[in-house]
Amino acid sequence: MSRLPGYFEWKRSDAAWMLLLFACTLGLPLVVANDYYLNMLVLLFLYAGMASAWNIVGGMAGQFSLGHTAFFGVGAYTSTLLYNYAGVSPWLGMVAGGLLSMALAVVIAFPAFRMRGVFFAMATLAFGETVRILLMASRKYTDMPYGLSINYQPGLARMIFEERSSYALLAGLFLIAVTAVAFMISRSYMGAYLRAIRDSEEAAVASGIAMRRYKMIALLVSAFFTSAGGTLLAQYVLYIEPTSVFSMAFSVDLPLMALLGGIGSIAGPIIGAAIALPLRDVLLETFGQSAPGLHLVLYGVALIVIVILLPNGLIGGARAIRDRLGRRPRQGGVKAGEAR
Amino acid sequence: MEIFTQLVLSGILLGGVYALAALGLNLIFGVAKVINFAHGEFLMLGMYAGFWLMTLTGVNPYFGAPLIAVGFFALGALFYAGIMRFTIYRPELTQVFVTLGLSIALQNLALMLWQADYRTIQTMPQGMSSLRLGAIHLPTDRVIAFGFAVVILTAVIVFLRRTFTGRAIEAISQDLMAARLMGIDPQKIFILTFGLGIAITGVAGGVLIPSFYAFPSVGSFFVLVAFVVVVLGGLGSVAGTIVGGVILGIIETIGGYFAPDLKEATHFVLLILLLAIRPHGLMGIRGAEKETLK
Repeated sequence: MSRLPGYFEWKRSDAAWMLLLFACTLGLPLVVANDYYLNMLVLLFLYAGMASAWNIVGGMAGQFSLGHTAFFGVGAYTSTLLYNYAGVSPWLGMVAGGLLSMALAVVIAFPAFRMRGVFFAMATLAFGETVRILLMASRKYTDMPYGLSINYQPGLARMIFEERSSYALLAGLFLIAVTAVAFMISRSYMGAYLRAIRDSEEAAVASGIAMRRYKMIALLVSAFFTSAGGTLLAQYVLYIEPTSVFSMAFSVDLPLMALLGGIGSIAGPIIGAAIALPLRDVLLETFGQSAPGLHLVLYGVALIVIVILLPNGLIGGARAIRDRLGRRPRQGGVKAGEAR
Repeated sequence: MEIFTQLVLSGILLGGVYALAALGLNLIFGVAKVINFAHGEFLMLGMYAGFWLMTLTGVNPYFGAPLIAVGFFALGALFYAGIMRFTIYRPELTQVFVTLGLSIALQNLALMLWQADYRTIQTMPQGMSSLRLGAIHLPTDRVIAFGFAVVILTAVIVFLRRTFTGRAIEAISQDLMAARLMGIDPQKIFILTFGLGIAITGVAGGVLIPSFYAFPSVGSFFVLVAFVVVVLGGLGSVAGTIVGGVILGIIETIGGYFAPDLKEATHFVLLILLLAIRPHGLMGIRGAEKETLK
């Protein structure tokens, strides 16, 4: 870690982007008054944060996890169980859940890091499902109800607020924290290592990168923040159940947002979340009444079309357009080790 | 002892069914190196095809299987020509997401058209729903489905080994570049393979409907089963699919007898361990798990 400041790449546009991020995450919750938009804002910030967390291991390091719901669910369940049964503040529960998720990440990393690409995806998918099944089976031996609800008792220590805007602000802070960490990783030597591993494991190892170690760091950071997102969402919704927090759909959502915006980049997952969530909502509102399920059919089709047409997401697409206009000609694609 | 024999026999029957359900996935992976995450949804559509065939026209899906096969062959060919063609030489990630997108779309299409109800049909007249062998009972539906599995798997092996087209498919699967130099058009082979793979999957769904409920999200159960079978038996190996299916069937039946809650968890733990220890499976080609079309 002491090497972190040794190699750090700043770009000229960084300050502007940071300002924009702060304005959106801290400004919008104060300005927006409409309940519907505030709700959207909370979910958007939370999902953007978790998609960014996924992106650290899935995008930068190229370890395509489809099992992040395990971390999300563990985060939601740990804090809720601790709060409901032991009265522990969700703030501490969030940390406890994060640590537990990191421990789980170590367990799955053992077998999973031996695999590549789609097989890593399959193994992590199975992992996420296993955690859910174990949780549901454990109800036989405990008197835990199927769904857990949290009593609505506002208070900062209990992480329950009266105003929706407070939740939005909290979710915004979460997004800032994840983005800051993603930024630190991406622009430091670590990001260069992760991208090297993504592009070619053989070449990375041959260059002396301790591959296992850096994959593991990426996964641990990712697991922690996804888990924290789980706690925050549980505190916002105040109700969780096994199938809602452990779902394959969630595991697919995070990479989807990253892919939509631009996988592996810092802003990509945030942009992706900002498009995917409202898109789904608009589709639901337009078609949800007339035919249940139609909005997700269209969503799936839109996904196929976008992935085929814009394999590098919107950021990649924008970059391609800029290149074609010839303002800043680039040679070849992205150079190895270059921060994106 | 009797209970043990019963469990093993039920396991073998279930295994045959699982092998049939997984064959299409393995065939497509073996040739085009695409893991089809929408595989379970095609199986689900096959189940509905069997259901509606029986409900609307009264034709038993066992006799209607050729019809389902033809329909699903066209569907598979369309799936390749309309979607997968654009992703075939692209990074794995693109294929994963395109097939995941299709899976979302098809699942919700089924939800839209046929609601979330659990549907099944009875294909056997009263009193013939199970076969008795001494003290052992075997459900007739499963025995017939097992018969289908044996016939189809044998037919596929013979087709791949003994016919000109089958050998062309094998050639593409083994070495794309060399096969092209021999004058084989990969696009034609890919269309054929997707058609064949989806046709088998559709038939599998059709003969599964009497013993499993059809509902829009049933595919996500079967796709994981199919993953386990394929990884267990061997990537790209048809014979391995049979072995993998039977082993999984026996494990599931015996495990389900002792710990019914954890039945599904055994699948997944098995999958993770296998992927870690022997990613090419019992009968697969070593290194198959690292192959991509390049």
